[in-house]
Amino acid sequence: MTDTDQALVGAPAGGTSGDAEPSAQVCADRPVVLATHGLTKRFGKLLAVDHLDLAVCRGDVFGFLGPNGAGKTTTIRMIFGLIFPTSGHIDVLDHRVPGDRVAALRHLGGFVEVPAFYPNMSARRNLRLIGAAGGRATEERISEVLDTVGLLARGDSKVGGYSHGMKQRLGIANALLARPEVIILDEPTSGLDPQGMKDVRELVRELGAAGTTVFLSSHLLHEVEQVCNRAVIINRGRTVIEGPVSALRPHDEAVKVVTGDQQKAFETARALFGAQGVSWDEGNLIVRAGDEGVPELVRRLVADGIAVRAVVPAVEQGLEDFFLELTQSSDVDAGRGERAADAARSPAGEARG
Amino acid sequence: MGSLSREFTKILFQRRTYVGWVGLLAVPVLIVVALDLSNSKPAPGEGPPFFAQITNNGIFTPLAAIGVLSFFLFPLIAAMAGAFPLAGEAEQGTMKTWMSRPVSRTAILFSKWGVAILYIVVGMLLVGLGGLAAGWAVFGVHPLVTQSGTTISIAMGLERIVLANLLILAALLCMVSLALFFSTLSNSSLTAAISAMVVFVVLTILNSFSYFDFMKPYTFTSYDMAFINLFRDPIYWQPIRHALLAYGATVAGLLLVSWLIFRRKDILT
Repeated sequence: MTDTDQALVGAPAGGTSGDAEPSAQVCADRPVVLATHGLTKRFGKLLAVDHLDLAVCRGDVFGFLGPNGAGKTTTIRMIFGLIFPTSGHIDVLDHRVPGDRVAALRHLGGFVEVPAFYPNMSARRNLRLIGAAGGRATEERISEVLDTVGLLARGDSKVGGYSHGMKQRLGIANALLARPEVIILDEPTSGLDPQGMKDVRELVRELGAAGTTVFLSSHLLHEVEQVCNRAVIINRGRTVIEGPVSALRPHDEAVKVVTGDQQKAFETARALFGAQGVSWDEGNLIVRAGDEGVPELVRRLVADGIAVRAVVPAVEQGLEDFFLELTQSSDVDAGRGERAADAARSPAGEARG
Repeated sequence: MGSLSREFTKILFQRRTYVGWVGLLAVPVLIVVALDLSNSKPAPGEGPPFFAQITNNGIFTPLAAIGVLSFFLFPLIAAMAGAFPLAGEAEQGTMKTWMSRPVSRTAILFSKWGVAILYIVVGMLLVGLGGLAAGWAVFGVHPLVTQSGTTISIAMGLERIVLANLLILAALLCMVSLALFFSTLSNSSLTAAISAMVVFVVLTILNSFSYFDFMKPYTFTSYDMAFINLFRDPIYWQPIRHALLAYGATVAGLLLVSWLIFRRKDILT
């Protein structure tokens, strides 16, 4: 087993097993507002979601992470009762989906895939119409949510003329409209420009800060890191890791070392941490020193007369690799572990392929 | 009722809604204009039912219009009215938005059916009222002579015209239900509407061969002209009863199957 694998196994707080009842432990004294139990969906031969167990506590901003095709959207469709599980079920508070779908939907708001509206109607009329289905939407509330997502000024224009980003924001407004217990957003930043992404993330953070429970699906680990407190990573319809976001990061404290003499520094580091602990990444020296190892490394480098220019965490770059590694290594068996570990060490660009 | 009015709002925001209505209004008006302008009036018994009588009595205009419309435009519009609310939303991607709201699938399905009927009722009102107005303006309205040769008052004539429209509406419910059924199977409104039309046309053709006469009592398409029996004196009810039985069974069967499919359907768009 490589050190990367060890870091992997050590990372998840709650463990990856779905056998245990996850909800009770993770939420402590907070109520579980949304949970899936052995949720499975099969489309013909394809097992899109495979015995998925997860629990969202009240007040969580819960990241639902996975690569494209991992089963995120299929899961969200089942939560909304749009499609029927092959087996398993969902609990929204104490309402079971699919059986008690209508009652469950009273506590949910959000969208699946790209939010869709009636193109010939204004945003305001769309919200009035959709909000009136199984609920009531006052004009004040509509203005309020339009304001929240920054669409108040354009609220009376036809949605057909909206940009992708505006539709995305209208989707969030619609999600908020009935003040549901849980807001489910399916990749709300996909297809947005950097400013739009920033705005949406800011909005989700604010919602979380205000105590709203948000279930955010994403394929971007750094996005989830920025806005979520807990997350699950799924791949091929199965849980890979579930836990607090801080625990999702690799615990492996690799640092990037930049010195006046990289070759000499490499020798020094290898003497300290062995061949396993030192690697090259595009001319940068990556040292897996651990928390305690770094000061020692710097002392030795200085003692050896090597000018230390920078010692920075290598993890920013390692994050996407870590994600890839997780999702790839869960693809098959241990045989691929080595390859995944290699991918993690190779330069980021290559690993993303 | 709330569901129905929301569905009605949706169709009011679509241009094709008005295309259908304008077309329906145009038919009786054009019939009157054409008859007024042409020199040779159709002789009694010539042309489609009730055409010959219009020039003597404008009250026949709505009847002549529904007779003509029953062959093609009514079934076509009913097929579209039945297909668009359900499959059209799937096509537009708004079905998932709509179904993420706390409304039962049964209510959604039946509100789609209901709005299609509402659409057709409005269309039939346009045909009836437009036809009466045009006929009255050009040819005047008088007590009418029945197919049996007796004369009935204008009020009684109007009453029978309403009954005739209700009977046609019942026939169109079959088309609406057929289109609704196909739209639970397809996410394309055109596919659903065309499928319903294909069934209508095939059944109509089969009805014209005496070899297939055994099917006639059971096919909703074979009662197109049953409404003429309302203009006998006294009304000849038997074919009308048969028609209503066939319509009722068709609608009930199609709605049941549609509901069974839709309540378990995976909504992907």
